Amino acid sequence: MSFISTSSGNFSNRFGRAMRDPVSLVMLLLLAVLAYLVAWPFIQLVINTLTWGEGSRRISREAVPGEFTWFYWLQVTAGPISGKMLYGPLMNTLITGIVSTVLALIAGGTLAWCVVRSDMPGKRWLQPILTLPYILPSFAVALAWETVFRSPKVGGQPGLYEAFLGAAPPEWLSYGVVPISITLAIHYFPFAYLLVAGALATIDSQMEESALISGAGKLTILRRITFPVVAPAFVAALILTFGKTIGQFALPFLLGAPTQFHTVATMIYANLALGLDSMAYVLAVVLIAMSLLSIWLSNRFIKKKSGRFETISGKGFRSREIALGNWRWFVFGVVALFGFTVGILPLILLGAQSVMLIDGFYGLENLTSHFWIGKSNPDIAGGEPGVVHNKIILGATWNTLKLAFLSAVIASIIGIVIAYIAVRRASNPLAVLLDQIAFIPFLFPTIAFGAMYLTLFAEPVGPIPALYGTFTLLVVISVVSRLPYSVKTGITAVTQIGQELEEAAEVAGASWGRRFRKIIMPLASSGIMSGMMVSFVGVMRELSLIILLITPATRVLMTAGFGYAEEGLTQLTNALVLIVALLTIAGELILWKIGKGRMARLREKQS
Amino acid sequence: MAKISIRNLTKRYGDMTALNTVSLEIDNGEFLVLLGPSGCGKTTLLRCLAGLETPDEGEIIIGDEVIYSSEQKIMQPPGKRNLGMVFQSYALWPHMTVRDNVKFGLDVLKTPKAASDRQLDEVLTKLGMDHLSERYPSELSGGQQQRVALARLLATKPPIFLMDEPLSNLDARLRMDMRVELKRFQSEAGATTVYVTHDQTEAMTMSTRVVVMKNGEIQQVSPPGELYKQPQNTFVADFIGMPRINLVELQGKGQVFSNGDITVDVGWHPKAKNVVLGSRPEDLTISPDLNAVGETYTVMAVLPNGPETIIQLQKGKTVVIGRVGHDSIFESGQEVRVAYTQAALNVYDADTQALISPHNNVQN
Repeated sequence: MSFISTSSGNFSNRFGRAMRDPVSLVMLLLLAVLAYLVAWPFIQLVINTLTWGEGSRRISREAVPGEFTWFYWLQVTAGPISGKMLYGPLMNTLITGIVSTVLALIAGGTLAWCVVRSDMPGKRWLQPILTLPYILPSFAVALAWETVFRSPKVGGQPGLYEAFLGAAPPEWLSYGVVPISITLAIHYFPFAYLLVAGALATIDSQMEESALISGAGKLTILRRITFPVVAPAFVAALILTFGKTIGQFALPFLLGAPTQFHTVATMIYANLALGLDSMAYVLAVVLIAMSLLSIWLSNRFIKKKSGRFETISGKGFRSREIALGNWRWFVFGVVALFGFTVGILPLILLGAQSVMLIDGFYGLENLTSHFWIGKSNPDIAGGEPGVVHNKIILGATWNTLKLAFLSAVIASIIGIVIAYIAVRRASNPLAVLLDQIAFIPFLFPTIAFGAMYLTLFAEPVGPIPALYGTFTLLVVISVVSRLPYSVKTGITAVTQIGQELEEAAEVAGASWGRRFRKIIMPLASSGIMSGMMVSFVGVMRELSLIILLITPATRVLMTAGFGYAEEGLTQLTNALVLIVALLTIAGELILWKIGKGRMARLREKQS
Repeated sequence: MAKISIRNLTKRYGDMTALNTVSLEIDNGEFLVLLGPSGCGKTTLLRCLAGLETPDEGEIIIGDEVIYSSEQKIMQPPGKRNLGMVFQSYALWPHMTVRDNVKFGLDVLKTPKAASDRQLDEVLTKLGMDHLSERYPSELSGGQQQRVALARLLATKPPIFLMDEPLSNLDARLRMDMRVELKRFQSEAGATTVYVTHDQTEAMTMSTRVVVMKNGEIQQVSPPGELYKQPQNTFVADFIGMPRINLVELQGKGQVFSNGDITVDVGWHPKAKNVVLGSRPEDLTISPDLNAVGETYTVMAVLPNGPETIIQLQKGKTVVIGRVGHDSIFESGQEVRVAYTQAALNVYDADTQALISPHNNVQN
């Protein structure tokens, strides 16, 4: 690779070399692609909110399509509909977000303490059950809730509650703040649980023991020692959980829309459904701003506090479990009951609902396998055949698997390449920039991200065709939305591979491509595999990301299920969500197996 | 042929200069050791040779080919430099068997299968690794891993060997055996070898020449014997040798120098007033007979160490170390006569810390 050029000056010299270095070429290429797929959509979204749209003549006489305007922002923030459009949904988002976050944290924190620090029996079995609600589509819990608390006031058949108690549940229990907050809390408490459990595991029990010797009681220790130490993680979990709840779409839509209860996320969808695209985009920007604010706050908080509370570990670190004494089995019972109620019961309810001929009528003679294996019957469900004969569902299943597989593989490969560049070229500011751009999708609430792609790919731009309505677009957005995670897994994997391993191959004369294929990929494979599985499961249960981009031809299980739910075909929805749930659980089990077997073996080899 | 010329090589990391205009000629077939404390630039120099680091200025020529030149803007990648390298951590690929590890270099060179197999068998047999060829690196002991790294180096028969502290991860006994073996393979192959270490025993026993470095600059390039006997400055004198050389600052005119405590006659006229005298512990003659030549010192400590005994001596505020056979009997507090072997004394200018010999004895 000798370069003989007459040009002087360090820059052209470096630049010339950079152009010959394949890593730099890949880096520049990825930067360009990601700038277009991540940064540009956001700019495009903002521009869209500030220019008159195509059909805007209908809205205002002053409209000149393509010209700059504050009209949409003024309408949304100060117009006569601003209460209904922005402030109402904003309040709803904040209330459900805060209530569900507090509930999730109380539940998650308590459970984390029981599992990590106490001698509660049966931890091995309880742990996976406790994380189940987060693994399942958020949709599932909402559907299960509806199964129980559906109110005939909004039409349809009565739920379990009415069937057993004889009276309709009060509306506040069926729709609105209460059910949305509770189901959100059920979906997100495992997230808080994992964060707090991680913090609790770093506590050296000698800290607690020294308090014990000073004569402090168990509760005093918990209040004065344990809680203050995990407080930063607790607050970080609080803010992060809140940030996640506000982006939720399917769940609040299902339990709110029937009574015109809207959050910002559902309002985006409602506006798009009404053709008020620009309004929807304004709301998407608002939602992104909220998400950015919460993540910025949590980062600031972690940075400020974590240094101060960093526990000094290392030598003599011990973690002793706290004896619950006679309460052991009681605590176990409560935790197990809770785990069953939030993790397993919803699945049972969905399963039961999907085999009822007439929804809401509870009796053995009402049982049917029609919704699973029945052929089309005009008397049932508007002629929709059961799962195994249903072309829509079979197509959606195929699409789901195809989408999840393609996205997972592509996201993992791009992720490992970006991770490689970020780790091995850490001194290059462009590499750092690439790493940061790949993280940005994490900051976008998924429905807002979907809205961005709606604006970006509606029309062809230069050589890029209008991808709206294509399967390719779904793959693109799924890949990009998974990048923050796959890059992270990739970085962990690449960091573990010693630089010398690669240099040894370099000295032997192996090109970068060969080194990447023969050294980096095989050594990172266990990490990549598990990352791929995580993405596979993640994409499979994704709804709000793609709901705006789906067309009948590109339907996946989640959107088909959502469609049936909107049509009131509950049994089919439940069947579909159950399929997704089971596929997800199967995926997690495979992941767990990979983690136990293959990865452990490879780790051993590398050490 | 594999003669290496390094000319005015400079490498900077931000504000830190890792190599400062280093120049060095390495002869064909030579075993050159780069020695120095950590952070002296020895590994950086080796990595620049390998092509794993890009220097900022200077030139490197291997044989007739310029492989790096800042002026001509030439930077050959490592694989084009026709050299082999053993890394400190061995850098064995954990996902490949011993055989695949060794084969990798041959594959890159697109060696035909028959020739490749023959070469592989040959090198694995030579290193006594043929029965372990299907094992993975994690299933080998430290010494065996070392051999795989060596086999990987030997397989492609490069004319240049680069070694970065290859023995530092072995235990003391194994290290000794491997030194002999390494040396044997090197001379058999006739490869020009550049070997980085911070272990001076390794440097002294294996090298044809030693390069001592400090702060990115070469302090001295000499065959090991000369390095020990005539260190070119006080840094090298102090760095080489265990226990350390005695360095005492003295003043005087003519042949005799003193610091108020001790007085030494160097036997010739160094043209400096302030000097540092260097004398190896074994060049002190220590006698319990108080009528012997020399001056009277007090024994402060006696430290027996197998074949030898180290004795700490004091006169006034001046402390020196002597080395005697294990059969000599001295006691703490005892008064002894100490004399310095005149021929073995090294005289350094106290201002420049550089060696003054009868040949370069000029007033500065």
